[in-house]
Amino acid sequence: MGGEEDDEPASKRMKLSSKELRHLSNGSTIKEPVAGSSGDLMARPLQSEGGEEVVGSKGVIKKVEFVRIIAKALYSLGYIKSGARLEEESGIPLHSSVVNIFMRQILEGNWDESVVTLHNIGLTDERTIKSASFLILEQKFFELLDEENVMDALKTLRTEIAPLCINNSRVRELSSFIVSPSHCFSVRSCKQDTLRARSRTKLLEELQKLLPPTVMIPERRLEHLVEQALVLQRDSCMFHNSLDKEMSLYADHQCGRDQIPSQTLQILQAHTDEVWFLQFSHNGKYLASSSNDKSAIIWEVDANGVSFKRKLSGHQKPISSVSWSPDDHELLTCGVEEVVRRWDVPSGECLHVYEKAGLGMVSCGWSPDGKWIFSGVNDKSICMWELDGKELECWKGPRTLKISDLEITNDGKQIISICRERAILLLDREAKVERFIEEDQTITSFSLSRDNRFLLVNLLNQEIHLWNIEGDVKLVSKYRGHKRTRFIIRSCFGGLEQAFIASGSEDSLVYIWHRGRGELIEALPGHSGAVSCVSWNPANPHMLASASDDRTIRIWGLKNLSAKRKDTHSNGIHYCNGAT
Amino acid sequence: MDVDPRQYEHIEVNDNDIHNIVMSYLVHNCFKETVESFIACTGMKQPSDYLEDMEKRKRIFQFALEGNALKAIELTEQLATNLLEKNKDLHFDLLSLHFVELVCSRKCTEALEFARMKLSPFGKEQKYVEKLEDFMALLAYEEPEKSPMFHLISLEHRRLVAESLNRAILAHANHPSYTAMERLIQQTTLVRQCLNQEHAKDGPPPFSLKDFLKS
Repeated sequence: MGGEEDDEPASKRMKLSSKELRHLSNGSTIKEPVAGSSGDLMARPLQSEGGEEVVGSKGVIKKVEFVRIIAKALYSLGYIKSGARLEEESGIPLHSSVVNIFMRQILEGNWDESVVTLHNIGLTDERTIKSASFLILEQKFFELLDEENVMDALKTLRTEIAPLCINNSRVRELSSFIVSPSHCFSVRSCKQDTLRARSRTKLLEELQKLLPPTVMIPERRLEHLVEQALVLQRDSCMFHNSLDKEMSLYADHQCGRDQIPSQTLQILQAHTDEVWFLQFSHNGKYLASSSNDKSAIIWEVDANGVSFKRKLSGHQKPISSVSWSPDDHELLTCGVEEVVRRWDVPSGECLHVYEKAGLGMVSCGWSPDGKWIFSGVNDKSICMWELDGKELECWKGPRTLKISDLEITNDGKQIISICRERAILLLDREAKVERFIEEDQTITSFSLSRDNRFLLVNLLNQEIHLWNIEGDVKLVSKYRGHKRTRFIIRSCFGGLEQAFIASGSEDSLVYIWHRGRGELIEALPGHSGAVSCVSWNPANPHMLASASDDRTIRIWGLKNLSAKRKDTHSNGIHYCNGAT
Repeated sequence: MDVDPRQYEHIEVNDNDIHNIVMSYLVHNCFKETVESFIACTGMKQPSDYLEDMEKRKRIFQFALEGNALKAIELTEQLATNLLEKNKDLHFDLLSLHFVELVCSRKCTEALEFARMKLSPFGKEQKYVEKLEDFMALLAYEEPEKSPMFHLISLEHRRLVAESLNRAILAHANHPSYTAMERLIQQTTLVRQCLNQEHAKDGPPPFSLKDFLKS
């Protein structure tokens, strides 16, 4: 099959090339449709090492294969005449003549001849030949049964199928069919109720899958190759941050920087001291911030941007962190070595204060069903409480540090906290198994990914490490560039499918990296003090919030949106035309 | 054997019991002439009721063992009416014996016909399905002895069916379906097994008839 085009006279080849060039949209390799020009790869085909013609600038695509899968695609699309014409013009038949005969015999039901042809196709694997013969004879068997020609069917089974000595369990099933064609004994061997001989086209498809692709081209091969390329492009797109970006075949997919939030849309000034922590609610409709000024503020996110909703006062100490309940109706706030308070978001009422005599809380978190809360205590233990304040469990021993983050996984099983200067504890509270992430440097904070498979760890030495925490913990990536010397800086996951990492920094910039590639994408100026915490809106990949020692919160969004956007309702993002 | 044989002296065994044990064995296996001479030698009472049936049972057993299942069925119906109706498993086993005969004599059409008429109705019940498929599979092979189901055409299989039939006939006539001897050996084996499990190394070893006979 491979040698056929070698018989073509050179002149025909030249004529082909100019004609084909007009049809091919492969713009990158074809320069001028002039026969004989040196840039014209189709007219003077290159020889690959194997001596076959190749197309494409890299010389890896074999022309024969290329034309054949195009012809196959044409036939699949229903353009029978075009497919036939291509075969004719290129002189490259889709299938060898033997295969064509074989296919015709199958469709016409010439079973015995088709088995003979099968042996002539040139297959090397005995097993494949037998499996294919089995399929064909099985079809013969069923068609005979359909015609109620039981004795011939039995003869086929005995003299042709069983001697193949493969698939004995199927042979067994076929025997049962003979005895009782109208109904099967056991449900599992019944494929369809009445029509047992499937269509010959289906048989051909099955044979196609069985035979090697060089003999019979698999269905939809060209489509599969194109899809592969598109997926690869999308995965390598560093700024890919919007759902509605469609992929086109005309040009490589490439999102621009404009998909990453990089412009300050709003500056929120309501705290009277350094803002230490902030976090969007799970539904992205609220933002909670906490500050050295001993208060927490709930902000509302809507079409017009982020607006002040209410201030929660009551703590006697600065609030180190907040935690949203799973349904976003309640908020926990934790005072530094003080108490944990539970607030009702709509009313701002403090529902409960969790405290331990003589001790102070250092962190807080919710169980995924919202029924219990967890808190780290400054005696290095972690406590679990019922909402009404009843203490349920307490894990003692070095489980947490004086300042520590606390996270609980979505299945409610694992509690994660910093237990030693350089170690994070992953405690499986049911199985009572402890795993550790050990670092060489002091750990300052961490953040859990939404799918709970990864942990982002901030270190003293200005590195952020990404760990895979499924099974054995594994270090996956490192991110650098931001500054951290004295304070706790926090980082977070964000963007579409959490493909980005954002972090605060002591140099007042907000840093954004591409998670997969580890490359720094943005370092956003704006704040006038160290940025201690960032939070990316889980419902809006284009909204990022940062909290700073300059007492403000900045909301970041896409640049130049009002100018660019034609329809603002397409993905629910509305932009505030706020100035920087 | 770890158990001290001298301990057996304390246990009395009645001669009559022994005679009965032997008799039950002989009767079960239809050794008619041996039964008659045993009775003569020991002066036992003749257990009249099942002597005549013994001859019939013997013939049924023989036919089943040969593979002549239809004859076996016919005679069974005569001797013990409704037995096969009540004992569907056995009926199936016997019918499939006949099927196997047909297949082995290469009478495919007849075998197919027979299977359709007599065997496939059993397929309505889930418990027969797999066995049925096993037998049907024999049809697919020109040399059933070389098929994966070759055990179904073996003498061993026929013997199992024949013995099963024998037991069923005895049970039907309200006679014990297992010989006393068999039961005794089974019991000993089980008791020894339990003791062995409980006491591990300290207890007596598992019962082996072979060893016992040699000792």
